[in-house]
Amino acid sequence: MARYALKRLLQMIPLLLLVSLISFGLIKLVPGDPAVVMGGSNATPAEIDAIRRNLGLDQPVWQQLLSFYANLARGDLGRSLLLGQPVAEALIERAPVTLWISLYSLILTVVVGMATGIVAALRHNTWVDQVVSVVALIGVSLPNFWLGLMMIVLFSVWLGWLPTGGYVAPSADVVGFLRTATMPALALAFLQIGLLTRITRSTMLDVLGQDYIRTARAKGLPETTVVLKHALANVMIPVITVIGLILSVLLSGSIIVETIFSVPGIGSLLGNAILRRDYPMIQGGLLFVAAGLMLLNLIVDVLYGVFDPRVRVDGRG
Amino acid sequence: MITIRTFASRAVLGGLAATLMAGTALAQASQCGRKGGDLTFALEARVPGLDQHASNSSATRNVSMNMFETLVTRDEKMNPVLELAESMDQSADGLTYTFKLRQGITFHNGKTMTSADVAASFQRYSKIGVDRSILEPVEKWETPDANTFVLRLKEARPTFIEQLSAFTVPVVIIPAENAEAAAQQLPIVGTGPFQLEEFKPDSHVKLKRFAGYKPDTRHTTISGFGGNKEACVDTVTFRMMTEPAARTAALEVGEIHGVEDVPVASQKRLAGNKDIKLSRLELFTMNVAYPNASFPPTDNPKVRQAILAAMDFEEIMEAASDGQYKLNKGFQFPGMNYYSEAGAENLNQKNKEKAKKLLAEAGYKGEKVTLLTNREFPYMYNTSLVMAEQLKAAGINAELLVLDWPAALQKSIKETEGWNFFYTGWITVIALGGPQTMRQMAAPSFVWKPKEPDAEFQAAFQVLSSGKTLDERKAAFAKAQARALDQVMAIPFGAMPKTQAVRANVEGFKSYYIPRMSGVWIKG
Repeated sequence: MARYALKRLLQMIPLLLLVSLISFGLIKLVPGDPAVVMGGSNATPAEIDAIRRNLGLDQPVWQQLLSFYANLARGDLGRSLLLGQPVAEALIERAPVTLWISLYSLILTVVVGMATGIVAALRHNTWVDQVVSVVALIGVSLPNFWLGLMMIVLFSVWLGWLPTGGYVAPSADVVGFLRTATMPALALAFLQIGLLTRITRSTMLDVLGQDYIRTARAKGLPETTVVLKHALANVMIPVITVIGLILSVLLSGSIIVETIFSVPGIGSLLGNAILRRDYPMIQGGLLFVAAGLMLLNLIVDVLYGVFDPRVRVDGRG
Repeated sequence: MITIRTFASRAVLGGLAATLMAGTALAQASQCGRKGGDLTFALEARVPGLDQHASNSSATRNVSMNMFETLVTRDEKMNPVLELAESMDQSADGLTYTFKLRQGITFHNGKTMTSADVAASFQRYSKIGVDRSILEPVEKWETPDANTFVLRLKEARPTFIEQLSAFTVPVVIIPAENAEAAAQQLPIVGTGPFQLEEFKPDSHVKLKRFAGYKPDTRHTTISGFGGNKEACVDTVTFRMMTEPAARTAALEVGEIHGVEDVPVASQKRLAGNKDIKLSRLELFTMNVAYPNASFPPTDNPKVRQAILAAMDFEEIMEAASDGQYKLNKGFQFPGMNYYSEAGAENLNQKNKEKAKKLLAEAGYKGEKVTLLTNREFPYMYNTSLVMAEQLKAAGINAELLVLDWPAALQKSIKETEGWNFFYTGWITVIALGGPQTMRQMAAPSFVWKPKEPDAEFQAAFQVLSSGKTLDERKAAFAKAQARALDQVMAIPFGAMPKTQAVRANVEGFKSYYIPRMSGVWIKG
């Protein structure tokens, strides 16, 4: 397994180079010039040219690309045109914010999504199943910006329980983190809970209809053991795939949720960089997110082996 | 040599008043009903950085102009006024400006400000300042002694101090040792009443009171960007809250003390809340569209005039501002020095028959009129949407081209084909006065790019820039405006307000072009 993981890690290098090349090309293809954005509509042509020179945007594209790779080889992702801050530093500052909120959101998703999915499957065709299905459908249908705003009205304005926005790191104050991160995490989780509930429910229904479950029940095993030991392990494979996908969505940062709740995470950083055509930040950010997602995929693949010996790559797990 | 008093009668009116007040205001009482506390204020945009030389972003200005100061700035009525300069003398030939610096001014790092710092600040600005054309008339600067800074111009420019005092990207004074800093990497050290404590991009900026601040006792209170400033609160936290509903909710629940912008939809609700005070700058943003004079069919003045004749500005402004607007008679607001109604008969004509007649005269054959717009600024999008419908009703083949703001802006600046009208909002452009406004349309310009510059407009602009007296310049402004409206070089649809709000326990806050935190205090 270690050799497999190492091989996958090495495969990431050319992939990341390809990602950086494609992102560089795409950025240059998109109209909009950071010098124009910085100068604004009132700047004179000479002022715009001067800004371009200061930013190094007057160099040929191939020279800009070579310069990017030369810096990358030294571990330097460049400096944000707008913030004046090294891109790597900005990403490292924001990554924990997005990571913590994503983890919080994932915990909510897994706990609530799987629990409701299992309950709905066990109470198949009862009112419980119907209520869960309807709520899950609502969950996947509600836009998170609307949900976020409604939560602010409910929890902040009417009930006064939670602040309207901001972010406190858990390392600084756990209660502060829970107070600031609960609404963003819920807004992000709601859709994913609906998705996971539906997947868990349908997979569980399939598994519960299998012969080995009937055999387990015929042997007189308690229902809890049948569900938790025999059924759940087999539900986990598709569920882990979905969790991996969910986490990749969460880790990319949600521009909308981070904007509504004034959370300084990766999503708002990259969203703003795109709007202002902050080339180094977009490029570095995409590379960072791509590397994160590749690592996540690797973890998911390794976890398959943990839950299903049949897919262990070297047979030992 | 013309002393400050003579000069002031022409331009630095606020400075004269301040000079005359010097000595009498020294014993004045504190402006703060109470000192202390942390005031939290929500901004509507993210602060990209605090380097005031290198950013024209209003979000940067909102925060940094509480920390930085300039030699000359603008007072409450937008007149130039001395700030870090004790006096200013202009030579008789108009080529030399000699600034004596105020004594005992210290930077946030404890160092005393001298003319070397002023010179270094000008040097940095001339290299990386976003609006460095301010210094284009300057030949050189000198520092004959530690308290004197001299600017020598290449040629007399009567509006030079108006330009130098502009606050779009002001020439703020920084310590000489920071002057080599690259753009956006400036250590934030100024002379203002607040100093930087913490800047967390995309989250907040925290300022604290600068204990070594020396207020300008020539004034009794803050005036515009200058005047007598006093930090009443211990700290100010500017939070970046870009979502309007969240910002308003935070104000309602008392999580923050004030907001930079209240959306129209929330104003009625907040007006009924006894815990919140609304304040409004009635004339803030000029909603503007300008044509592409290089691309058919808007390269034909008759087509442009037909388009202007067809439009109903009330409908357009209603949609753009949710009903909060004032129609305008030109490119300046009433009450401003250069305000003129010359050419106003061309605005808001609502005359489709005239439009059709002009189109026939122009030989218009249904060519496409592309309205280049964006959705990031809803008022611009709504303006273009209503304009398109009005043009269609007049028989003009109008269609929208919607790009995001950077792409639309770039297209309007760099491309002379594929679009016919571009939408924007003028805030500082208008506030800074007539010459700054007309500069937008004077060659070389991004706004007005005909194949040949308009000779009549250029002649008027030349007088506007170099006229020796204000009256002469005002007359030139009127001529330039009449020509600009006749030739439809830009369309000023109307003015929209800026509504801000603070909690009822916040005193001393007055709406302005930036949220000024001096003189603002929190009741116990």
